[in-house]
Parts: sequence; structure tokens; C-alpha cells
Amino acid sequence: MLLAIIFIPILGAFALPILGRFSLRLRNWLALILILAPFVLSLLLASAILSGKTINITQLIPLGFNLSFSADILALFMALVSSLISAVIILYSFGYISHYSNQNEYYCLVVLFLGSMMGIIFSQNLILLYIFWEMTAIVSWRLIGFFRGKQDILRADKAFLITACGALLMLIGFISIYQLTGSFDIPVIKESLKSNPLPNFIVALILVGILSKSATLPLHTWLPDAGVAPSPVTALLHAAVLVKIGVYVFARLFVASFGIAEIWHTIVPVIAAFSTIIAAGAALIETDFKRIVAYSTISQIGFIFFALATNNIIGIAGGLLFILMHGLAKAGLFLCAGIVEQNTSTKDITQLGGLIKTMPFTAVAFLFCAFSVMGIPPFGGFFSKYLVFAGSVENKQFFISLVFLAGAVMTMLYLFRLFNMVFLGEVKISGKEGSRTMIIAVMILAILSLAGGILINYPLGFAEKAAQQMLGG
Amino acid sequence: MLSLFIILPLLSLMVINLLPKELMKKIGTLMSLILPLAQMLVVVFIFLGILDIRPGPADHFFKFNLAIDNISLVMLFSIAIVILVTLLVERHLIPDADERFNFLNLVLITFTGMNGIVLVQDLFSLYVFLEITTVATFILISFHKKRDALEGAFKYIILSALATVGILSSIALIFLISGDTSFAVVHQALQNSRHAFLIDFALAIFLGSLFIKGGLVPFHGWLADAYSSAGRAISILLAGIVTKTLGVYTLIRLVSSVFGFDTEVKGVLMFIGALSIIIGAFAALGQHDFKRLLAYSSISQVGYIILSLGCGTPLGIAAAVFHLFNHAIFKSLLFVNSAALELQTGTRHMDKMGGLAQKMPITGVTSLLASLSTAGMPPLSGFWSKLLIVMALWFSGHFAYAIIAVLASVLTLGYMLSLQNRVFFGKLRPELENVKEASFGLLFPMIILAGIIVGVGALFPFILNSLIFPIIIK
Repeated sequence: MLLAIIFIPILGAFALPILGRFSLRLRNWLALILILAPFVLSLLLASAILSGKTINITQLIPLGFNLSFSADILALFMALVSSLISAVIILYSFGYISHYSNQNEYYCLVVLFLGSMMGIIFSQNLILLYIFWEMTAIVSWRLIGFFRGKQDILRADKAFLITACGALLMLIGFISIYQLTGSFDIPVIKESLKSNPLPNFIVALILVGILSKSATLPLHTWLPDAGVAPSPVTALLHAAVLVKIGVYVFARLFVASFGIAEIWHTIVPVIAAFSTIIAAGAALIETDFKRIVAYSTISQIGFIFFALATNNIIGIAGGLLFILMHGLAKAGLFLCAGIVEQNTSTKDITQLGGLIKTMPFTAVAFLFCAFSVMGIPPFGGFFSKYLVFAGSVENKQFFISLVFLAGAVMTMLYLFRLFNMVFLGEVKISGKEGSRTMIIAVMILAILSLAGGILINYPLGFAEKAAQQMLGG
Repeated sequence: MLSLFIILPLLSLMVINLLPKELMKKIGTLMSLILPLAQMLVVVFIFLGILDIRPGPADHFFKFNLAIDNISLVMLFSIAIVILVTLLVERHLIPDADERFNFLNLVLITFTGMNGIVLVQDLFSLYVFLEITTVATFILISFHKKRDALEGAFKYIILSALATVGILSSIALIFLISGDTSFAVVHQALQNSRHAFLIDFALAIFLGSLFIKGGLVPFHGWLADAYSSAGRAISILLAGIVTKTLGVYTLIRLVSSVFGFDTEVKGVLMFIGALSIIIGAFAALGQHDFKRLLAYSSISQVGYIILSLGCGTPLGIAAAVFHLFNHAIFKSLLFVNSAALELQTGTRHMDKMGGLAQKMPITGVTSLLASLSTAGMPPLSGFWSKLLIVMALWFSGHFAYAIIAVLASVLTLGYMLSLQNRVFFGKLRPELENVKEASFGLLFPMIILAGIIVGVGALFPFILNSLIFPIIIK
């Protein structure tokens, strides 16, 4: 079952270009099915895993290269979140991407992307993790450069080189863990480390990899530049898959598996705080629609790191909830940006205005998602942000909490500014509403953001269980 | 049994020249294809233990002193694959039948020579086979008698002659000390000898000569010229396997089973290796000619092999051999790609191409796989050999070299991306509107090689278990 979750999308991805030669409709629907498959299969696993069991698959190989996969609550949570968001994004792509060439490649890569993400989530071996990690880098390189212009390709290279460089440093970290313990297998490493924390230089090396993937200061510059990609791709990168990988691996390695020295519980929040404030500042002065939303991601990722570094149940549950809520809302913002961009042919917000008249659905969906990102009750984002602060207060990190509070206020400022300039005021360029599937997709995300807040019990219970298992186990 | 690896190619060389020439021009290549295919099968059988390697009648008749171990098996396999690919693409790249026949002859001589190098167990026979291969290579480089090809061949002759003199005088010195040239005896004699200075001197000359043959920095000047000016079919053979057998395999064999690893040898190997990695990679970044970029990338990748060998640990040697195999696969694939590109677009200048993935999808995808494998991206085969190299370096305590190796991977990724961007990715140039995909004869070997890259990468844990492990344990 676990292997099916990973390998249905990975292997199925290569059937898409072949199918695409015969029937475009069939290909699109198969892509959607391939993405929904992990979601459905994870749901089937849910009841067993939520009762506290973990499912393990191990194939022993000498030298600690064991092929081992395992599913616990944390992994299941991430798998559900990212496959759900990816499915909505694929639905949106049916409308958005149909105007461009290289569609076969696009669908193949997106499905492969999700498959690699599933691989990262479920692998219990550092080398397997690294393999899937780099697969996402390769895929995102092709996707960012999708439009094939000179600028697009240079930006794609930039993203690839920065993340690959970070990943290689992380690999050195993994190899030093191997030298220390003689295995790449996470449970074996845990066993031989006992309660000793990982040496600091190893944590630093792995952290570079994580920060480069999650686009945190100072390794964030590739993410705003990656906005040249098609909008569903940016949504995928920001919300569903790519930047969440770093956060997930942080949770998996440093929270759920290995102990790290006390000092990192101060260093990580400080890095995150800088990232949050500076990126929020950048979002306040940018004039490019997608760059603003991109900086907003960098800023929000800071909150997640901050939450995960608190090391108490409330904080970590808040962090996980944040991953879900931010994913839904941010995907919605990018997809709205895609509709606006496609129908007005500009991303410059100073040339836009008054679009609420011609694009009412998009505007409302955008507003809902923006409310969630800002953390306004009763939207889902409010609860996750609240829990993050509650967790930090429990750790008595008052000063840093204040900095993050300032970050939250800035979030409101730049999102209202964005909404004002694009959707309110007088009409400068009039564009028509997006196609029906695109509208449906953004509405789904907007409603989920709202429903996530109103029905907060379910995701919160899930996240709390995950947090308990991470800290207890 | 083992001597058949040398005798059969030689015999078929005679056969195709004795039979009617007009007929052989037509079917000679086809007949010769059997040789590498058979070699691949035999290697697999020996490896699985189905075929045993006791001396047969042929060995009693020809008194060669031959031996085989896992390293030689990997080499024999790589040689067979590259020869196979060369023979497969030859028909499409060399249109003239007479030239093609001459080319076939030279390839068979090279084949004989390389098999000999891999199997012999004494220094003098090694020298003989090195020379057989080298001379065939001179002629191959200058095969089309173009001006720059002649220049490349001339450079190669001069440097290679120096290397020859060096190797021969080093063998003479060693012979003085040990009284014999067989590997085992020399190894014993060097251990127990009192002539430390003389041994060091002979060793230094030998290593230097092999660095020339393998095209390592600072003796790399000939390599880029030779690779890029040689004919299309020839550069596949040359870059894929010939220089690696001549220089790199010989180095691995001699250092690991004759000279032994002392601290100086290790130091020199690692320093030269790291230097080659960096200089090769930076030089590759600045190239505009497709084949020159590949040539410099070759220097850089050979640097990895030598660096890994320099660890002196079993893991290091295993990683070096594995990388050599991978390099043979991905570099031959890239040169087949470059041949297809040159054939279809008429240029090798990368700035004149762009967006060709649309027009040549299979060439595009296979070259992307080869490029990513070169850069050590998982899950392709190149990743695993680089991982083993870095692990070998890290475990033997050479942290600085390990970090150089890792960061140089970013450079590798850099030049490979720039290649991909300029040639395949990007917008299609209007003047390339009529470019078509290469013919099936070229695509077929590309698909096989790409299949090996993906297959070895995906099935690596099993390969580790069955192939790499035995080398380490030995």
C-alpha cells in the first residue's frame, strides 16, 4: 500500500506523455487520477495509523542502504495535505495550461513531482530521502523554465543550482551521520545515538539544505524569481510541494527523530524571524503580483520553522496546522494571480485595478484566501497562527514572539495593499473572468480555507496526535 | 579461456581482411558486432559463476600470463559496450564504404589492445598492449585527414611518445631492481628492496606517463583538441573508453596491485585528481563547442576517478571503478548525442542551437539523462558512484577533498545545465525549424545507453550487493 502511494504517481507519470499522443482529455483525467490515488490510499491508511500504529516496509541492504519506508501520523498528515492541494492545482491546470505547448511534459512532471514528494514523506532512509529530494529539484527546474524564454531558463537554473548546492551540503551531513553510526537508516541511527544530540556541524549542514529548499533567508532569492513559471507551477512550488519539503524534513529529522542541541532552539527561530520580517518588508514594496505572493510565502515559512522549533505539543501542532492552512490559502492566491495574469496579460499591480467588477468570483476567492493567510478568524489561518504564538509563549520566548507578531501585522498590510490595488479602485485594464474549471479550483481552495477554520476540530485533532507521536516517540 | 579475449578480435581482424573485400565492406561490421556482444555475455556468465575460467587449449598454446578479477570484469564489460555502440553508429556517421572498412579494422585493433591491457599480468606485456592501442588511436584521430584533426593527432603523438619513453625507462628501472616484470614478483621486490630512491624515481616517471595518457591536469592539453577534432564515431570510442583504459585503468591496476599505496602516491593522486576536477569543470563552463565541453567534462570526471583511487581504501577503489564504468556509459551517450546533433544541424556551436528538444525529443531526453548522471543527480547511476566517492573520501579522513568533490558537483551541474539550456531547452530558433530527429540507427544506441543509466541507478542497491561488495571485500 505504502509503495503504491509512492510509485503509482512516479511510474504513472511516464504513461502520460504516451497517452497524450492519443487523447488530451484522457491524459488530463489520468493525471488527476494519479494525483488522487495517493490521497485516497492515504485516507484508507488513516484509521490504522491514527490509532497509533506505524506501517513499515523494509528491504535490508548491506552498508545501511536499506530500502525502508514507514508511515506515521506526521507522514500521513503531510501526504494528505500535499496530494489534496496538488489535485486542486491539476484541476486548475486543465484550464490554464491548455493554451501552451509542451503540455505532455507538464503533466508528466507535475505527477512525478507529487510522487517524489510522497517518496520524501514516507522514506525512513536518509539516502532514499536525498534521492527523492533531488528528483523534486530536477522536476522543478524543468517546470520553472516551462515557457522556455531566456529569462525563464536562467531563473530555473538559479533555483536548481541553489537547491542542489544546499542539498549537497546536506548530503555531507548525512555522510557524517553515517560515519558516526554506520547506517543511513533513521531508526538505526536513532538507536545508536540514544539520547545524545547530533553534533552541531551536522545539524548546520543539514539545515543549509533545508533552508535552501524552503527558501528561507539568506537562501531565499530563487523563490521570487521562480515566479516566471506558469501559475499552477508556482502554486505547486509554494503551497503543495517544494518549500514544504524542507519544513517536513526539519520536522522529520530534528523534531521526530534526532535530538539537537538546545542552542538550535534559539538559532532557528532567530533565522526564521529575520526571514519573516525582511520578506514581509520586501512584499510591501514589490509591484509584481506574483513576487508579492512569493515573498509572502518566505515570510510565512518563517512562522512554520518558528513553530516547529518550539518543541512543545501546542507549537508543533500549530506548525503542522500552519502547513495545511498556508498550503490551501497560498495555492488559492497563486491560482487567482494566474487568472488575473492570463486575462489581463500583466503582473504589474500598478497597472491593474477595479477587477472586482469583471472578475467577481476570483476577487472573492482571493479575499478568502488572503484572510486565511492574514490569520483573521474564523478562517483556518487564524487558528494555526494562534497556536504558533501559544506554543512560543509556553516556551517563554516573548521577544521573538513580538517580532513574529509584527510580521503578522505586516502580512495584513501587504495583502490588503495587494487586494486594493488589483481588485478595488478604478478599472485600468479590463479582463474577463477565468474559465470554469479555473474558477471552480480557486473556489474549492477558498471554501476549504474557510471550512478549515469553522471545522477546526478535525485537522486540529489530527495535528495534535501527530505532535504527540513526534515528541513521545 | 582468457586468452580468447585477445585472440578472437585479432582473428576476426584477419578474417575480414582475408575474405573478399567487397563483401566485407558490406557485412564486415555486422559480423564484428558479434564480438562485443559475446564479450558482454561471457563477462556476465563468468560473473555469475556459470562459466569457469580455467586455462583451455588456447591458453596452453599462447603462453600469456593472464588473470581476471572483478575490476577487470567491469572493464571488459565497459569496453564491450562502447565498442558495440561505436560499431552500431558507424554506418550512419561514416558514409564512405572504404573509410568505414578501414575504421572497422582500427576499431578491432583497439579492441584487441584494450582487452590485452585489462588482462595482462606483467609490465612488459602491458607496455606492448598500451602501444598497440595508442598507435591505433593516433590513426583514428587523424582519420578524416582534416587540418585540425591532424593537429590534434600530432599533439597526441608528441605527448604520448614522451609517455612511452617514460613508461619504458621506468619498466627498465623496475626490471633492474626486481629481475622480473610480472606484477606479483615486482610487488614483492619493491616491498623488500633497499633502493628506495630508485623506486620512487621509477614510480614518479610511471605515474607521470600515465597521467599524460589519461589526460589529467597538467597534461591535459592534447585531450580537448583530440576529442573535438576527431571524427564523430571516433570520439565516442576515444572519450568513452580508450583514454580511460590507457591511462586510468592502468593506473588503478598498477597502483593497487603493483606499487601499493604509500602516503606520497596517495597524496599525488588526490592532488592531481582534485586539480583535474576543478580545472576541467571551469574550462568546461567556458566552452561554446559541444564536443570541447564534453572533452573538458571528461577531464573533470577522470579527476573524480583518480581522487577516489587516491583514498587507497577498498571503498575508494570500488568507487573509482564504478565511476569509470558510469563515465564510459554517460560520456559515450553524450558523444552519440553530439554526433546526432552535428549530423542534423550541421554545427557543433552551441550558441547556434536552442530549443532542439522539440525537434529531437529522444536525443533531448537521453542527453538530459546523461547530463544529470554526469552531475551526480539521483536516482541516475552517476549519483551512486559520486556518493561512494565522497563517502570513501570522508571515511578516510580527507574532509577537504570530500568537500571539493561535492562542491565541484555544483560546477558540473552548472556546465551541464548551460549545455542543456543552449542546445535543447529554451525557445526554438527560427533557422532550426526544419531540423528532424536523427535516424533510428543513432537513436537505438542512445536508448540502450540511457536505459543503462536509469536501470543501474534505480537498481543500485542490488548492484551494490553483487558487484561493488565483492571488490570491497577483496
